Amino acid sequence: MTARAVLILCAALGFGCTPSGDRPQTPNTVLLFKHGTLSGNGAVLSDLLREFERRHPGLVVREELLPSSSDRQHQYYAMNLDGGRAPFDLLAVDTIWVQEFAKAGWITSLDAFLPPAEREQFFSGPIRAATFEGRLYAVPWYIDAGVLYYRLDLLARHGVAPPKTWPELVHAAQRILDAEQDPRLAGFVWQGKQYEGLVCVALEVLRSNGSDLWGGDRGRAEASLQFLRDTVAGDRITPVSVGMADEESTRQMFGSGRALFMRNWPYAWALFQQEGSLVRGKVGIAPLPSFPGYPSAPVLGGWMLAVPQASTHQQEVGELIRFLTSPDAQRLVALGMGYNPTRRALYSDESLVDARPLLKDLYPIFLEARPRPVTPYYLLLSQALQPEVSAVVVGRKTPREALDAVRRQVRRIVGSPDLPIHVEGL
Amino acid sequence: MTERPSIGVRHPTGGIRLSERTWGYLLASPAFLLVGLVAVAPIAAALWLSLHHRLPVFGVDEFVGPWNYIQLWGDDRFWAACRTTLYFTTLSVSAELLLGFGLALLLDGLTSGVGGSPRWAQVMIVVPWAIPTVVSAQIWAWLYQPDYGLLNYLLHQARLIAQPIDWLANPDWTIHAAIVMDVWKTAPFAALLLLAGLKTVPRDLYAAARVDGAGAWQQFRHITLPLLMPVVVIVLVFRTMDAVRVFDAVYVLTGGGPGNSTETLSIYAYKTLFQTLQFGYGSTLATAMFVIVAALSSLYLLLLRRHLQEGA
Amino acid sequence: MSDVAENWRRGLVRWFRSRGLALCILVSAGLFCLGPVLWQAVTSIKTDADLVRLPPIVPERVTTAHYERVLFQSSLVQSLMNSVLVAVSATTVAIVVGGLCAFTLARLPIAGKPLMLGLVLATSMFPPIAVISPLYLLMRGLGLRDTLIAVGLTHAVYALPLAIWILTSFFRQLPGELYYAARVDGCTPLRALMSVFLPIARPGLAVAALLVFIFSWNEFMFALTLTASDATRTAPVAVALFPGLYEIPWGDIAAASLVVTLPVAGLAALFQRHIVAGLTAGSVKG
Repeated sequence: MTARAVLILCAALGFGCTPSGDRPQTPNTVLLFKHGTLSGNGAVLSDLLREFERRHPGLVVREELLPSSSDRQHQYYAMNLDGGRAPFDLLAVDTIWVQEFAKAGWITSLDAFLPPAEREQFFSGPIRAATFEGRLYAVPWYIDAGVLYYRLDLLARHGVAPPKTWPELVHAAQRILDAEQDPRLAGFVWQGKQYEGLVCVALEVLRSNGSDLWGGDRGRAEASLQFLRDTVAGDRITPVSVGMADEESTRQMFGSGRALFMRNWPYAWALFQQEGSLVRGKVGIAPLPSFPGYPSAPVLGGWMLAVPQASTHQQEVGELIRFLTSPDAQRLVALGMGYNPTRRALYSDESLVDARPLLKDLYPIFLEARPRPVTPYYLLLSQALQPEVSAVVVGRKTPREALDAVRRQVRRIVGSPDLPIHVEGL
Repeated sequence: MTERPSIGVRHPTGGIRLSERTWGYLLASPAFLLVGLVAVAPIAAALWLSLHHRLPVFGVDEFVGPWNYIQLWGDDRFWAACRTTLYFTTLSVSAELLLGFGLALLLDGLTSGVGGSPRWAQVMIVVPWAIPTVVSAQIWAWLYQPDYGLLNYLLHQARLIAQPIDWLANPDWTIHAAIVMDVWKTAPFAALLLLAGLKTVPRDLYAAARVDGAGAWQQFRHITLPLLMPVVVIVLVFRTMDAVRVFDAVYVLTGGGPGNSTETLSIYAYKTLFQTLQFGYGSTLATAMFVIVAALSSLYLLLLRRHLQEGA
Repeated sequence: MSDVAENWRRGLVRWFRSRGLALCILVSAGLFCLGPVLWQAVTSIKTDADLVRLPPIVPERVTTAHYERVLFQSSLVQSLMNSVLVAVSATTVAIVVGGLCAFTLARLPIAGKPLMLGLVLATSMFPPIAVISPLYLLMRGLGLRDTLIAVGLTHAVYALPLAIWILTSFFRQLPGELYYAARVDGCTPLRALMSVFLPIARPGLAVAALLVFIFSWNEFMFALTLTASDATRTAPVAVALFPGLYEIPWGDIAAASLVVTLPVAGLAALFQRHIVAGLTAGSVKG
């Protein structure tokens, strides 16, 4: 009967088409590299991997993609690494996960592949974030930090210099907004949605006031959170929609000429300089402002390479990591994909800096960038923080209430008698 | 429904005579085999996990029995998420049912006339549902953007609003924005089911009612609705199931914010399981969701039980 | 007014009352359903620079770059094939297995029917997020990691309750006399089902098949977790891979989401004839 035929056909198709890709039946060792979707030209990374294969005959590197969303990657790694037999050999980890994965015993120490002498060549922030109990658990692959974008043309037109302090920024924004009289122009946009990005922004403001979210001077912490709320409600230089803004929405706002200042990661620069962009040639980058008397405190971002504890090819993967983080590879990635290298020497490399002059400006910022609290419990803490700061941003809670709640929760998570820990950066 | 016992049938070729009952178990077994293999084992694992304290980062893995459930009872965040979820479910399912009914009646009326059936009409209502949820959530996030979103632009052009509305940044509005998106996406499910159900109502019943002088509303109340009740129950049960477990629609739009005001149970469970890596408590939350869904479904089935029997 | 004109006017009013109102509502419903999709279509032909520029609604400059990127430079087309494969297999399995079970629940005298219905429903009530981890480990243990079988099987099982419930409801409403007549003629219940019930259960089968297909097509969480490489990825997962670390290529996603919707819309068009067939065929009388 036709129904049965269709059924059999479908079953045959379904069963027949199952193998993934064309796996050659050779005695090669296959290294599986798991990472999120990368921006820019993905072929650059593939070419690098093919080059590695050429230098190491008998080794084949296969990439498997994950969605670029940090949450989904974390979910995937949690499911796989917890079982103890992860099916991949190399993974790309977010800066904030290394401590957690190391403490859980999911990734293996990489001390052998990056001896302490060589670690000096990298930025110190990422190295600190990747070091757990004195041992290195991940090698920094590329780096990010919060920066201030501003409209060169508008600031020049009104004779304003890029602000060095937050009060200066508010003042400049108000002045220019008054003069421009453009109802669609916003003064300062930043990421205020309830997610990890908000914690970055909050830390940048708090730390640039000599305080922190759960330590430091309480009064200054409240003042900093109040500052964030005031940009929306008091000084009115920030639209209310910042409460749902993430990196892309602020980038789109600034990129269509509707914002004066923006706090974002450096990735947006290349997009602004593209053909057809409304703000091409009109964008400047500066270190984030701070409060008077304190240094700027950009937060460190970026991704690193790590190896699962259960990988059976640790030696080979170590080679791959050394290759991918070598100066040449990092230069190629920086040129072809726009990712910022983690080796300090490359920032004075002429060929690279000529092609990407922004690196010169980013170098001092990356030197100063501090990681978010370096603790295995960071994600727990961040989960407790996000709703509180978000509530302040939309005016649901006062800074005092929010900070009380934050400190209560942190004490519960960190200070409970069963879980004695030492948290660096608190 | 009158059930006749096994009929005394002489099989023409004299093969094995199986009773109807045996046939019944035989035919139903593949379904239960499949479900047992693929669905039951993971559920059992999750239930087992919910009785443990399992935090890999803290190195904790111990059996604690009902302790997680006791903790759940005193968890304010859980109750807040419950309230948000039930609010979302109530509004969403009601709107979907109403809208679905409206669309189904519309299409039924249009396709039973002499003018032929507009195929495009049916395809049209399927399209919102055919788009993957992650994509449609992003589409609506785009639409809701206060500055370059279409919604505010159209409302502004129609002179209905002066200032752009911040759909997602205002904690009071956010959950409703998510509900609109969910209803848009899933009303076609209800519409399709109800349309198919409408098509099985014999036309002569309507003709007879018209002869008796019944108006459109009375026809609807006394003929259509009772006969359609089984389908309505299906829509209610399945849509409630999905609404209580809603995840992508809200998470992509708001991430549970602002200030956890749109945190549904799924989002809370997801964050607990996969961001803070509390596998035990996360499974407990999931079990709680299951209990809520089961309770609601049982409620529907109990209240509407008599309609589930054969209508005609 | 002359008689002729008066008749015309009355005729027009009557037409409007009977048809026009319905048409108006239909157009509004159409706008509501399709509005965002139309907006996606417009976005997918805008240049990158124009993506956020709001007046004008219809762009002056159009580009096919997004479609080119999506169709020729990404793995979306292969993902579509995978999705079709998975959805067709899952639908077939769900309808066949579910149909057999539904027939039993509707017509055959077995014990504990409400319990069975409830059990089958309960297994799909459990939130996927808690089940995803053990299920993934189960599939990995069976050696089915990164295969289409794992996804198809999972979809079939999770769609089974829906199929069973819909088909049970439809089978119950079909007249019993035909079945008994077939049995008296010497058919086994299975043959009775296939030769008698199936032809007249078309609306129920069509709607169940369509709903299961769409469920499988759209399903994201299981598909994401159980597949890993280009060769096994399904369409929603492929679309989720478009965004880079921070930037979201909105034009590409708009193009991709339209491409992903088309097969389903086509299927719906194909099936609608069956869904509206109803009982008017006249085969049931007597």
